[in-house]
Amino acid sequence: KTASFHLLNLLSVRSCAAPLTSTSSNTEHQNTSSTDAEVHLSQSCVKRLAEIMEKGQYLRIAVEGGGCSGFQYKFSVDSVKNEDDRVFEKNGVGIVVDQDSLEFVKGSTVDFSQELIRASFQVLKNPQAEHGCSCGSSFSVKL
Amino acid sequence: VSRRKILSTRAALTLTPSAVNKVKQLLDNKPEYIGLKVGVRTRGCNGLTYTLDYTKNKEQSDEEVLQDGVRVFIEKKAQLTLLGTEMDFVETKLSSEFVFNNPNIKGTCGCGESFNI
Repeated sequence: KTASFHLLNLLSVRSCAAPLTSTSSNTEHQNTSSTDAEVHLSQSCVKRLAEIMEKGQYLRIAVEGGGCSGFQYKFSVDSVKNEDDRVFEKNGVGIVVDQDSLEFVKGSTVDFSQELIRASFQVLKNPQAEHGCSCGSSFSVKL
Repeated sequence: VSRRKILSTRAALTLTPSAVNKVKQLLDNKPEYIGLKVGVRTRGCNGLTYTLDYTKNKEQSDEEVLQDGVRVFIEKKAQLTLLGTEMDFVETKLSSEFVFNNPNIKGTCGCGESFNI
């Protein structure tokens, strides 16, 4: 029993250190263990979507061939849900990902990053991506 | 070979009206900063990328661009690469960013963040 307690302690220490590097998406790790393919929304993403989206509109994420690393993310506003789309909702806002693209982005986090030079949506922590472009719009797939 | 004279009056960097507005808006309520500073950094798949920061003081080697009441400074390292560049601000529903239309570049990355000369 003490061993497991120590392990727990270690884990909590680690998670305390984590916020140093992660910005706004540190609350999104909790349910990654679920078997279903999921895409997580960071708080900044939810906040921004609530600002710009009207009712019935979704942020669509698609993966296309292209970019310097083989694949790239495409973001668009869509109000139509197709049959093969999966919807991920949080606090009243939603993103849609079609089944084919979901294979490439499952487990990752969608974030809205704001810097002086640019503010844009980004896919972060994609478990399928090996390495990406500096801007994060392009990535290559782990084989 | 014709000998062209380089016009010294031409600004190293020009700003579009939307960029001017955005810079004004950024510097509003921030009296401690005198302007923005543009630089380049080695990063990305194509070699270089632009950086943008608030600045509190003008370094000796910085080039100062004053246009429509806003001040933008160019780092010494970036002056050659940026010469003749137009700085634009593009805003869409999903993203907003400063775009540098640089006549000197040979190639860019897919997203346009990285470039080479």
